[in-house]
Amino acid sequence: MGRVGAAILLLFVVAAIFAPILAPHDPALRTAQPFAAPSFAHPLGANDVGQDILSELIFASRLSLTVGFVTTCLATILGAAVGIVGGYLRGAVDAVLMRGVDVILSLPFLPLMIVLAAFLGQNTTNLILVIGLLIWARPARLIRSQVLSVRESGHVQAARAMGATHGYIMFRHVLPRVTPLVAAQFVRTANVSIMLEASLAFLGLSDPFQKSWGAILFYANARSAFLADAWLWWVLPPGLCIAAVVVSFAFLGYALEERVDPRLRSSTPASEPSGDPGTPMPVREDTLR
Amino acid sequence: MPRPSGAAWRRGGGRVAQYALVLLVAVSLNFAIPRLAPGTPIDYLVPSEQVATITPEQRERVLAQFGLEKPLLEQYRLYLTGILRGDLGISAQQGRPVVDMLLERLPWTLVLVGGAITLATVIGGGAGFLSAARRGGRTEAWGLALFMFLDSMPPFWIGLLLLVFFSGYLDLLPVFGALPTSGAAGGFGLTLEFAQRLVLPLATLTMVRAGWLFLVARSSLAGELSEDYILMAEAKGLSRRQVVLGHGIRNALLPLVTAVAVEVGTVVGGATVVETVFSYPGLGRLIYESVLSRDYAVLQGAFLLLAVGVILANLLADLLYPIIDPRVRAETAR
Repeated sequence: MGRVGAAILLLFVVAAIFAPILAPHDPALRTAQPFAAPSFAHPLGANDVGQDILSELIFASRLSLTVGFVTTCLATILGAAVGIVGGYLRGAVDAVLMRGVDVILSLPFLPLMIVLAAFLGQNTTNLILVIGLLIWARPARLIRSQVLSVRESGHVQAARAMGATHGYIMFRHVLPRVTPLVAAQFVRTANVSIMLEASLAFLGLSDPFQKSWGAILFYANARSAFLADAWLWWVLPPGLCIAAVVVSFAFLGYALEERVDPRLRSSTPASEPSGDPGTPMPVREDTLR
Repeated sequence: MPRPSGAAWRRGGGRVAQYALVLLVAVSLNFAIPRLAPGTPIDYLVPSEQVATITPEQRERVLAQFGLEKPLLEQYRLYLTGILRGDLGISAQQGRPVVDMLLERLPWTLVLVGGAITLATVIGGGAGFLSAARRGGRTEAWGLALFMFLDSMPPFWIGLLLLVFFSGYLDLLPVFGALPTSGAAGGFGLTLEFAQRLVLPLATLTMVRAGWLFLVARSSLAGELSEDYILMAEAKGLSRRQVVLGHGIRNALLPLVTAVAVEVGTVVGGATVVETVFSYPGLGRLIYESVLSRDYAVLQGAFLLLAVGVILANLLADLLYPIIDPRVRAETAR
């Protein structure tokens, strides 16, 4: 399962990197009749201004994947830092950080992102900031709960007894122990952020000069592409790309968690009142869409 | 040991305080965003096409009208008292109170979101429990793959495809808005028209959300069924049915309730894009229209209203836990 996910993802990454070579046309130029049906020269036809949809799709993978990757890095680093510091230091710091996490998790994400994106203005940097700064809370909470058990383990206590500083212990002893969980959370977060970017772009909140898969669907919807046969080559492909990337991340996450799981689950103190079982199919706690 | 009811009250009180904090943050965010965003407040208060041509005198007047020349703390106080009186500002585009516009759209969204949550819980949760009770079969594996895939598709895309299929090709269902634009029949006819237009948005949102609830229900019941007390119940000679229904599901219900509560915020987000696809006149569609016309006051009002709804739903779920699960009662009493 993990291999299938990795293979799909690799395919998209390669397409994104070699976009100028792979794309048959320049997606910014009018190379066909508006609303042209698929032909040999234009395998997926053309959009309302006559741009080649296949080329558009290939170039869009650059933006979609970049936004997904950068927001995920941002959110994972932030989430891991908050989770490790809170879980390790406990006390007041932890209480404040976790209150913050609770607050963020209780807000409706998409409407808040829409408001933020609308006010900040439409460009890719803002989009990345808006998504990245809101989705770190779930990983932070999960990582913290594992840190709580790691800080009580022998080698951490030994390091503390020998007088190591908190910063050193967190970086050298706690971080390596939670790295597998951080990796799993990275994959989950990527999943969420790709979907969020697509939703925001579909609502017309992405940079108007750069198109992602969601933005292609925004234009298709605005031009009522679904009323004509054009949906087959204009609406179907971008959605399939989004779904394929999200599924590949889900597969990867599933495989990663299987590998990390057994010890992790049993040593996680149940933060919620559910008797956390050694689940064969890990409960996904972080769908933030 | 103190009486559980007292502990439950304390727990409930703590929760209420926590959600009150969330609400305060949401309200304050709404206050802060326009003041921190690039540009001047004027950009967000007058219709976008007038921003370039506005005269200095007009500018002064707008600032005075919205109390923007006062000190920040005073502005904040006025803003809070305004909200308590139900004043969310005036729409820049339509010149109407934002509250009125929101309340007009709210019922449509409540029907859609409420229906989708109910259906997704029954279908997703039911299928998940069923799948956990019959693990290892071929149908079960396909079910898992199907729901995982459903969980990975963008909601607006599912909506677009359903739209193409059911109204474009089969021409079965009318799709635009929630009610016919002209020649409406009264009473039953109108209800029928509405029901027909509700089918596709509702189906879309249900499909999107059922996937996750399926996964939660499945893993939760599967976990319970591997516990010792299930073995014990079977050893007592109870039928499989009694074991699963009376013991397994009873215990597996709590994670599902948690998931449904967490879902509310997500479903509301999903409704925003799904309503856009179907031109369904709910809050989500209003948000989309306000994004396009840059009607900031409406955007903020809609966010606030949705935040309140999500917070209330979460609070309700929290208060329900002790009723559903005696273990929570015992835990808080400790």
